[in-house]
Amino acid sequence: MKIKKNRLLICLFTVTLLLAATSSARVTPTYAIVNCKIISVTGSPIEKGTIIIRDGLIESLGPQGKISIPEDAEIIKAEGQFAYPGLIDAHTNSFLELPKEEPRRPGAASTAAVDPQQKEKAQHPDLMALKLLKPKKTAVADLHKIGITTVLVAPERGIYAGQSVLLNVNGENAEPMVIKSPVALHVNFTTARGTYPSSLMGTMAFLRQSFLDTGHYSSHKSLFTKSPRGLKRPEHNPFLEALSPYAVKKSPIFFNCANLEDIKRALGLIKEFKLNGFLTGANEAWRVADLLTKHAKVPLLVSLNFKPPMTSIYVNQGEELKKKAEEEIYPANAANLYKKRLTFAFTSQGLKKSSDIPKNVQKAIKAGLPKEEALKAMTIIPAKFLGVSSFLGSLEPGKIANIILTSGEIFDEKTKVKRVFVDGISFEIKEPPKGEQPAKVNIAGKWSVTVSSPMGEMESTMELEQEGNEISGSISSSMGKWEIRDGILSGNELALSITATIMGETMDMSFSGTAERDSIEGTITIMEWSAELKATRIPDREY
Amino acid sequence: MKRNTIGFILVVSLVIFSSFSFGQDLLIKNGTILTVTKGTVPKGDILIIKGIIKQIGENIKAPRGVKIIDASGKYVIPGIIDSHTHIALTGTNESAEAITAEVKMRDVLNAEDRSIYTAISGGVTMVHTMHGSGNPIGGENIVIKTKWGKTSEEMIVHDAYRTLKFALGENPKRSNSRTIGTPRYPQSRMGVNAIIRREFLKAKNYMEQWDRYLKAKKSKKSAKNLIAPRKDLRMEQLADMLRGKMIARCHSYRADETLEFIKLSKEFGFKIACFEHVSEAFKIAKELAEEKIGISVFLDNWAYKVEASEGIAYSASYCTKKGVLVSLNSDSGERIRRLFNDAAKAMKYGRLSEEEALKLVTINPAIQLGVEKIAGSLEVGKHGDIAIFNEHPLIAYTHCEKTIIEGEVYFDRTQYLKEREEMEKRKKEEEKKKEKKGGKK
Repeated sequence: MKIKKNRLLICLFTVTLLLAATSSARVTPTYAIVNCKIISVTGSPIEKGTIIIRDGLIESLGPQGKISIPEDAEIIKAEGQFAYPGLIDAHTNSFLELPKEEPRRPGAASTAAVDPQQKEKAQHPDLMALKLLKPKKTAVADLHKIGITTVLVAPERGIYAGQSVLLNVNGENAEPMVIKSPVALHVNFTTARGTYPSSLMGTMAFLRQSFLDTGHYSSHKSLFTKSPRGLKRPEHNPFLEALSPYAVKKSPIFFNCANLEDIKRALGLIKEFKLNGFLTGANEAWRVADLLTKHAKVPLLVSLNFKPPMTSIYVNQGEELKKKAEEEIYPANAANLYKKRLTFAFTSQGLKKSSDIPKNVQKAIKAGLPKEEALKAMTIIPAKFLGVSSFLGSLEPGKIANIILTSGEIFDEKTKVKRVFVDGISFEIKEPPKGEQPAKVNIAGKWSVTVSSPMGEMESTMELEQEGNEISGSISSSMGKWEIRDGILSGNELALSITATIMGETMDMSFSGTAERDSIEGTITIMEWSAELKATRIPDREY
Repeated sequence: MKRNTIGFILVVSLVIFSSFSFGQDLLIKNGTILTVTKGTVPKGDILIIKGIIKQIGENIKAPRGVKIIDASGKYVIPGIIDSHTHIALTGTNESAEAITAEVKMRDVLNAEDRSIYTAISGGVTMVHTMHGSGNPIGGENIVIKTKWGKTSEEMIVHDAYRTLKFALGENPKRSNSRTIGTPRYPQSRMGVNAIIRREFLKAKNYMEQWDRYLKAKKSKKSAKNLIAPRKDLRMEQLADMLRGKMIARCHSYRADETLEFIKLSKEFGFKIACFEHVSEAFKIAKELAEEKIGISVFLDNWAYKVEASEGIAYSASYCTKKGVLVSLNSDSGERIRRLFNDAAKAMKYGRLSEEEALKLVTINPAIQLGVEKIAGSLEVGKHGDIAIFNEHPLIAYTHCEKTIIEGEVYFDRTQYLKEREEMEKRKKEEEKKKEKKGGKK
């Protein structure tokens, strides 16, 4: 009897704990998406189907009529729309706020000047993307607009750039997004600038030596744990500690391959040190397709950045060929890989604007890549590569409800993403308000700003980014750095919203005025106060 | 405009060549064959089967399907070998440290360097592409064939010696470089010598450490938790020098530093294949010949910096006559196409014979690189690496017409000029069309 009572208590305790755990998580409504064409990627398409989302997961899906709609479900009418799994970008450098890099000193690399701090800057395998995450509202919205729901965020600078994090883009806060961290170690075939290794050949030797050292360090440590007597104590080394999971325990290492020789360098290292290597970037992959066929087990993450590398034979031979390379030859990378039956995922790595992702997928399709292969390269294939295909990458019952609803077939030029679900959270894509005009000038760049008010003048600098007629950026002054968002440049009329933090209080400011190529003038308003703002462009530094 | 055209041709030829497989069959007929090692065949043929020279003689009949090149009135010579250059690489120096034996040019080969095409336009079929001279101990060099259009792996000559670059004098002590920040040790010739000695002492120490470990591991009494020493790639390279698995190629100019380096090699027991540039070689020709150390030099470049001030154009010929193995190098992606002109100059300065002069750019560099069994002269059994010239290669007005590697034509001047002309024609037509269209509007 007594034992049974105890058991009961334990049961009750567990249930309470479980309840506590679930109640602390976000509660998402139950949805029923009805009347849509379902492209699950792993199964055959369903012309008119229903998808039930509950607790952030796909509860069920199937042809209309065969799926009963729960009473508590909010119904999303998706007449004429397509449902796809949320797209995965398997390698991006967005979302991060990296420490500022000092400008390179002229000639530093060709001399012996050694700066110990520089060394730190190039080699930081312990740098965690997770800790540098700064997801901006605009960046999240930009991804949703093109149907991306999952991203692998990686630090980008240095030989050992750091370790990446896999995110489900489900809002504006970093922590709830995290699916997995760390995912991979990221390696660039770059140099340490001004310190060893200052050349590519040095980098190769450095990489080899660091893999060897990690192996030695790790075996020394385990030997010392087993039988320390008579053995010199291994000295703690944070650099090798950070490398250990990758060089010894074979967690994924992403080698960023800027050109075909980089691909060979990476494959060489993977073979030599038996690494769990991934090739990323790789926009010259088609040129070594036969070699890649021999290394079919090495995951291939192909960038949608079609800019030919500096070393390319196609860029040093005159403008005509260079243009052809950018417009025809490099966009055909994926199509050529497909013809060679190579499996690959797409990434946005190296692309400056997220809006270029669908544009460049379209270019790849135009160059001969079948549409369904393009879709796989952004859904189930990256999911498999990243080891998350049991819960992401396709529309299947039990998988996470990352779903996008589109107005037409995905990757069609006219198709728009209407709504995305990430972890079952619904985000409706807002169309820009009507009556807007395209921007007449490009005001992207750095600006010197003077705000004059009855209280005096304030000097600051402003950095603007422009995408079509949408403006975003930041304004920096002695009072701090404020984000500029939801900006619209309609013709020459400029309207901006600025989120200002003044003495710990967040305030919304707005600006309206006119913009020319090199000057901006108008009024800035904070609550009932207003001031005149004048800005002039700071010319880019000439090189 | 011209540049663009050349670019197109280069890419077209790149694509065409990459479709071929290794080693071709070829018959070259009726040329004046300068074998370099086996005299001259006034009107002879060379048969190449699967990239290897099968027969040299008169009236050789081509087996079925073998491509024939008519070389009537032309001169057929072994492919020119450049014993010292820096082409086909991404980067030349690892300059952040003074000792960088661990870096390998093999890691940074760039098969798309246009200098490769420049090289074949001058009859060059093989190059020793090297680490720069910025460091007392640079990196491991590599020998490649100039197979334009092939992958970097296909270019590598595996039969060649493994060589390590050393450098003495002004370059490693950074005399002519702008140094920002802390100057790097060494800053003097004595420093250069001392740092090399220091590194070899370290390497000896390193080898002893490994020997002790291996010995302990073998013994029955060895501790269970015996751990191997850390593998150090820099030390491994220097250990390979001491084990005789690799040989030195040493950049030097002055006689004194050159002799000091020879002493160093004796102290540690490593081998020197060759001194590079060595303007004052003529002062120590006897010592070089005795030590059987070759030199790889410019024929007539001198006084372009302080340490080269005592160079003379007669040095190559003089050293040859004193029994030193001499080769002429380009050290450049441009001069590489004129090595036969440099060889000719050795006849003018110092009166070498035709054959002796040709040797400076063929068999001599081949011996220096350890590839004399496969290249450097036209002999049965060697690779079919051949250059065909319109006139005697040592005449001032000659030019290379065809460059062949392993029986495969990589450069064909006639075809190249034809393609260039066609391309320019096409371009002009396109421009005319554009003008017409513009006129209509």
